[in-house]
Amino acid sequence: TLSFKFHQQPDCAKRQRRRGRERMSYVLRTLRKKREVDSIIRDTIDTVLVLRFGRALDPICLQLDDILSKSEREVSKFATVALVDIDSEDVQVYVKYFDITLIPSTVFFFNAHHMKMDSGSADHTKWVGTFLRKQDFIDVLEAIYRGAMKGKLIVSCPLPPQRIPKYQLLYKDV
Amino acid sequence: MKKEKKNEEYEFCAVCKLNHNQGRRHNYFPNHVKSRSAFLTRFQSKLADVRFFLKNPSLLRPEHASRNRLWCVFCGSDIDGLGSTFACGNAIAHLVSADHLKNLKDFLWKYGGGMDHVDSFRLSEVDLARWEKKCKLLKTDGASDRSRGVVIGPVNDIQLNSENIDTFIQSLNSSFSNGVVEPLQIYTNERYQVSHEIFRVQELGPLRQDADSYLHVGTQLDNNACSSNYFTGKILLWVEFLKAYTLSGYSEVPSLQVRVAASTLCSSDQPPGLWLHRLLMLSSNLVQVHRDERTANSECSSQGLQNLTQISSIVCGDAIGNVHSGAPPPWLDSSEGKQLDFKRSPFNKSRKCSKLNPKRVGAAWAERRKVELEMEKRGALAKNFDANWLPNFGRVWQSGSRKESMKEFEVETKKSSKVETQCEMPMQLQPYVSKKMVSFTFTFTALYALVVLSYALTFTALYALVIL
Repeated sequence: TLSFKFHQQPDCAKRQRRRGRERMSYVLRTLRKKREVDSIIRDTIDTVLVLRFGRALDPICLQLDDILSKSEREVSKFATVALVDIDSEDVQVYVKYFDITLIPSTVFFFNAHHMKMDSGSADHTKWVGTFLRKQDFIDVLEAIYRGAMKGKLIVSCPLPPQRIPKYQLLYKDV
Repeated sequence: MKKEKKNEEYEFCAVCKLNHNQGRRHNYFPNHVKSRSAFLTRFQSKLADVRFFLKNPSLLRPEHASRNRLWCVFCGSDIDGLGSTFACGNAIAHLVSADHLKNLKDFLWKYGGGMDHVDSFRLSEVDLARWEKKCKLLKTDGASDRSRGVVIGPVNDIQLNSENIDTFIQSLNSSFSNGVVEPLQIYTNERYQVSHEIFRVQELGPLRQDADSYLHVGTQLDNNACSSNYFTGKILLWVEFLKAYTLSGYSEVPSLQVRVAASTLCSSDQPPGLWLHRLLMLSSNLVQVHRDERTANSECSSQGLQNLTQISSIVCGDAIGNVHSGAPPPWLDSSEGKQLDFKRSPFNKSRKCSKLNPKRVGAAWAERRKVELEMEKRGALAKNFDANWLPNFGRVWQSGSRKESMKEFEVETKKSSKVETQCEMPMQLQPYVSKKMVSFTFTFTALYALVVLSYALTFTALYALVIL
């Protein structure tokens, strides 16, 4: 289980808990089957695909979902955002394949190719945790898009280190 | 050895209106030269107005003082018309002053105007003296005497004109005799505009005969013992006519009389508005009399109080249609083909320019996928992908290419699935037989079998011998 990173729960999280599950589903697509994930990866052409792996009710996930849903429309011209529920069995293949151990984890794709980002942490394959601001997310997305358009599979993170959430990565459960 | 570049301070060029650190070099830059010539030309045009008043001093009315401002670009100061009795009096005084000369020289030196242009931006003392004389004369003469004298001069050369003049005079007389005081129907600036335009008109050519005839009319009236008011009215009317003339495109305008008219206008004490109004109405008749002399399409109507040029659209008119009748605009009809072509070609270009970078990530895959999608749309090519399809993913602790990582993953998944299946099979209990034992027993039995066989063979052989 993931420990709290913030002292206070964000307000949106409280509201969403009261209202129940799947708060963000009306804005962002939530995928529960491998087939759905496959189809969205294959059908997103020439735009960045953002797949957030996490649980809808986890507070950090909620904050990330909030940011994603707010900026989804703004980046819609060059990016698509979707959520993947890690609690569904069908998706466990991907959970293993992408080595998802901490949630929320965000994986970026471009033309069915996985995009890596060097954000100063150990894991370049995904973005672990949430963003501090909406603009941070958009900056990261833009960096990925620019790199992808130039043909780079790995890009460096435009955010300064203090804005990147820190976490510990365990090597093979050690 | 090249000169080291000086790191000059930033300074502001008032001509180009920008800050630069080029120092003295800036004055020779082509942009600066252009801006400077434009700048000076603009100021020259304003000075031309002032020069006009220098040659023809006229009394400045207090209500027009606010319009008499001039901004001197060299001195950076406003010169307004307060306290001057004559138009542009303050400006003229300023332009003659020593301070202005000094500022002018400084400006030209700083911005490189050429010092020989100094005299074009100032007025000499001689000019000032002349102007002052004229002003004095203007003051002493009052309104009519001088002007009348001038008018009578050319009268001797004039020919009398046709009946319409007489009719006009009669109508004029009648209107004047009514003596009805009408409220001011135009704004005072109308008069200023009128007078102003007349001043400009002055620059133009020689006399025209018809104009002379009207002037003669004026003088006739005078001889009929009209008051000076009448005369002023006449002048005003005549002024209006002149304006109409100029607006209609005639470049020939009587110059001398205009000047006279102008001076009398300014010096009269009557509110000219009401006279002007009446005369405008009356002068429209004048204009119509001469309609046939004017060009077909444009005519000047001084009806009402606006001096707009009326374009008669009878010729073009109703056959084609207009906005109100819903006709298409002319540009669409004629150049429709051209328009479309023009639209298409830049559109095509922009399409091509927005072609995506072929080196981008997954370009080949994207192209293939696009083709597949199109085919799916058209022919329902239900080519469903493998359920075990995995995207191109580089794992965290990856060593080697991404395909290897995929293979690794697949192997791992297979292993995990195998382990699962094995666990599911039922366990069968069997006694433990070691390999050694198996081999031993095998050899033992084999030997035993051989011995038995050999015995059997010997016995059969012996039996066969005994019998035989």
